[in-house]
Amino acid sequence: MVRGDFFILLPLIITGGAAVAVMLLISFRRSHLATATVTLVALGAAVISVICVAAAAPRQASALLILDSYALFYMGLIFAAGCAVTMIAYDYFERQTDHREEFYLLLLLATLGSAVLVSSNHFASLFLGLEILSVSLYALIAFHRERLPSVEAGVRYLILAAASSAFLLFGMALIYLERGDMTFFRSTQIASGVPAWSPLLLAGTALLIVGIGFKLALVPFHMWTPDIYEGAPPPATAFIASVSKGAAFVLLLRYVTLFGLHSGSVQSAAIAAIAVASMFFGNLLALREEKVRRVLAYSSIAHMGYLLVAILAAGPLAAVAAGYYLVAYFTSIIGSFGIISVREGREGGGDAVSDYRGYAWRHPWLGGAFTAMLLSLAGIPITAGFVGKFYLLAAGLESSLRLLVVVLVASSAIGLFYYLRIIITLYGPPEAERQGAAITPAVSLAGGVALTALTFLLIWFGAYPAPLLRLIQAMVGG
Amino acid sequence: MILVWLIAVPCIGALLAGISPRGRELRCRGVTIAAFAINLALTLALWIMHPAVLRLAGGGAWFAEFDRAWIPSLGIRFHLALDGLSLVLIALTNFLGLMAAAASWRDITEKVRFFHVNLLWMAAAVIGVFLAVDLFLFYSFWELMLVPLYFLIGIWGHEQRLYAAFKFFIFTQASSLLMLLSLLGLYFIHGRATGVYTFDYGALMGTALSPGTGMWLMLGFFVAFVIKLAAVPLHNWLPDAHTQAPTAGSVILAGLVLKVGAYGLIRFAVPLFPAASAQFAPVAMGMGVASILYGAILAFAQTDIKRLVAYTSVSHMGFVLLGVYAGSTVALQGAVMVMLAHGISTSALFILVGALSERIGTREMGRMGGLWAAAPRMSGSLLVFALASLGLPGFGNFVGEFLVLLGVFRMSAPLAAVAAVSLITAAIYSLWMFQRACHGPNSEGWVIPDLSGIEAAIMAGMISVTVWLGIYPGAVLNVTREALESLRPDITSAVSSKR
Amino acid sequence: MITVPIEHVILMAAILFSLGLTGVLARRNVLFILLSIEVMLNAAGIAFVAAGARWAQADGQIMFLFILTMAAAEVAVGLAIILQYYRHTGTLDVDAMGGGRR
Repeated sequence: MVRGDFFILLPLIITGGAAVAVMLLISFRRSHLATATVTLVALGAAVISVICVAAAAPRQASALLILDSYALFYMGLIFAAGCAVTMIAYDYFERQTDHREEFYLLLLLATLGSAVLVSSNHFASLFLGLEILSVSLYALIAFHRERLPSVEAGVRYLILAAASSAFLLFGMALIYLERGDMTFFRSTQIASGVPAWSPLLLAGTALLIVGIGFKLALVPFHMWTPDIYEGAPPPATAFIASVSKGAAFVLLLRYVTLFGLHSGSVQSAAIAAIAVASMFFGNLLALREEKVRRVLAYSSIAHMGYLLVAILAAGPLAAVAAGYYLVAYFTSIIGSFGIISVREGREGGGDAVSDYRGYAWRHPWLGGAFTAMLLSLAGIPITAGFVGKFYLLAAGLESSLRLLVVVLVASSAIGLFYYLRIIITLYGPPEAERQGAAITPAVSLAGGVALTALTFLLIWFGAYPAPLLRLIQAMVGG
Repeated sequence: MILVWLIAVPCIGALLAGISPRGRELRCRGVTIAAFAINLALTLALWIMHPAVLRLAGGGAWFAEFDRAWIPSLGIRFHLALDGLSLVLIALTNFLGLMAAAASWRDITEKVRFFHVNLLWMAAAVIGVFLAVDLFLFYSFWELMLVPLYFLIGIWGHEQRLYAAFKFFIFTQASSLLMLLSLLGLYFIHGRATGVYTFDYGALMGTALSPGTGMWLMLGFFVAFVIKLAAVPLHNWLPDAHTQAPTAGSVILAGLVLKVGAYGLIRFAVPLFPAASAQFAPVAMGMGVASILYGAILAFAQTDIKRLVAYTSVSHMGFVLLGVYAGSTVALQGAVMVMLAHGISTSALFILVGALSERIGTREMGRMGGLWAAAPRMSGSLLVFALASLGLPGFGNFVGEFLVLLGVFRMSAPLAAVAAVSLITAAIYSLWMFQRACHGPNSEGWVIPDLSGIEAAIMAGMISVTVWLGIYPGAVLNVTREALESLRPDITSAVSSKR
Repeated sequence: MITVPIEHVILMAAILFSLGLTGVLARRNVLFILLSIEVMLNAAGIAFVAAGARWAQADGQIMFLFILTMAAAEVAVGLAIILQYYRHTGTLDVDAMGGGRR
């Protein structure tokens, strides 16, 4: 480790340092505002530091981490998403009474884990990043320890994530056994004279895919996603849906790109099957759900299926498509759960679609923002989601993945049903007894700023995507 | 730049209407009407000035153009262009927008602001569709159109509004996705062949396609457009949506959404895929004739007066489909004429029917009758538009249908003969509707107020326009001729007429 | 010194892993599920050690240390959550969870 290494690791150091600082702060003085502010400042500083160190990229910091523009772009995205989640969490926990400061500590750690994950270049750092992320998530999900659904969700996630870690580890061990090296680059290289695919390597990759599949909640590894989305506190759900999945996806994309996935091979056929199943089942299962969070949980399964198309496409457009789609998806899903969290904090009550009846009349701006988020998830123009989906389709067609593209289109058409159902309920006639509920302020300053910014970005990325596209092309395209 | 204003004016209007204070509905309505009036004035100014001033040097049939880079990495440009066809349709859009805003004066009393925001948003998107000549831009506007319409039907509609709105949205959105696939397919084929990746209409027009590919891509566009046009057998969403929508929504649907589908066929589906279109023309014309007859028969079978009017749309739009694929400039001009005339006459019928059913609280024709004595101005207007819609000479509808039949006759006499039967069926259902509603005994003893001042003004405006179209069709035919000649499908030689 | 063939070690690891997985799927008690996951993790650890031995590198054993540490952390947090679950429900049966075990 030399000085340059420390410099380029600045984003990770800031986040890690902030976690320690927050821990100390909590032990000296419990103050919700102070804790949230420190977290926000730290994450903001991390975003800025990403921009600062970008000039020094790419650089390999020890054998474990590689800080190239690809990793830095997604790191920046993760930290920015962390900022948004912090603000939403502040809005949400301001209305709770006890033990709320620890949330930010866990959030910082989980963000750190995700950042390590996207910059990892070695099985050990992959494992460390993943575990920092997962272990913090157990606690984040079960954060409402006085509420049974939250604790149940925590138990479920614990079992799921631990089992998936075991799969991942066993897969890594098998690949290491075969290749004799744990860095991504060399473990994916095919040495001369060695058969390209030995059974052990195949088994190892399969286990690896299973492990990542659990993290991304792809079909058939999706079982408990809706329960977890439903039980966890909404800010935590926003985090799981965006950062945690995004980081795992970015990792998968990097690994698969290094592998050079050949079309027609067993692996690409398997991933294609998973993608098709995720797109269809995600959207179909969402149709019969009555609760908004469960609907969004299934829809997130479908969205991860869409993203797999980019992995399979592997053309010049694919990396950009994946990047754009992730940005769009982060913006819309954090925004959606932000509004769910704001609403739940104030109106309480259930999370059924019918509980949202007339919400847009009570709170026109929030209702409008939610509409924009849902339209973006559905992929309607002048929202970021449309440009993202358009890019995915273009990337798929570029690589002649006709079947996948057709499935993508067909399943998005199915997806329209449930997004539209939520949207039209927002504008339905409000129930009589809820009329009075509009007196409370719709949203606090922090939550309002975050949601306004997200809505603005959503429309901006949809209406004028050129600057963001240039950035993504420069960062991940090359 | 004026093209951008055409889109921007409704957008600004929507913004102003949206932020007008609660309880000040009048201001909101005023802003909407002002926005449409300004836009209409702009369009008419363009119409009047076009021969002298606006012709671009070497710009083909374009009167005005606006071209800026938008998403350069994919070759997407913010490219708007206006020719005669777009011009008359934009004029129609603004006129009907004005009428719809005025007609909703009494109809819409709840959530007024959001209603007007949607109305203006919708108009902006439709104008965008008529102006866009970058396929990506076109698709964006095309999709944007759906959302406000979904709200218009789903929030202010009648008893089964949610079902109707859902059906409408899913039908159109699913077909749009097919178009998106075709569009991307064309983009990549063109890009691979020439090395230039672009969504520009002019560039893509000459793309060489193998017959099979061309047919598949054409079908993607065709299905999307024909669903909007509501030709049999893809008309299923139309009766529900039209019937359940509020009056302004029905006006927009009948007057604009159906036209957007026809416009798409004329502008994109046929010129982009001339060979495939020529091959497909018999099927499309068959669908046209089927729509004409099927729409007429079903219209006759309705007891709900609004549903009856909805089915007449299917019938009339069959003429448009027939005209588009008949392969002659005359028929194409006829199709455009039908689009305009039908847009006005059917919208007027929807406004009248809406006013009527709002007054008596039912849309069942069985419970109407004898309204002539109760409301002479209303009944008189109904008679005028019933006559216009059955194709009486002197109204725009007649000119259009006549030109279409003329064009079709040259190509296929039997088809023209079958289509001509509809002139009789149209007379039957139109007069039957009028007779059921206004003549006969006033069995339920209706005493209803006649048309209010605003409604009378709307009717006066619409009657004068439709009569003007009938008496002086040259105004439309002249301004659109050049554009339509370049867009005419060359059915005989199966070679793009442009190149 | 008797050397054990590498295949045998991997075979044992695989068997252990499968046993653990069976336990996760078949058990209903959260504690036992957690135990089974530990077995799976240790199977992975053995595989790592074997792989390290094959290439004569320390990396495998380092990974094993990582796994041990992680397992400890996971159990610490996990048991805390399970304790909360027990306080709410008075049982450790996952079938008792709302919505059943899907």
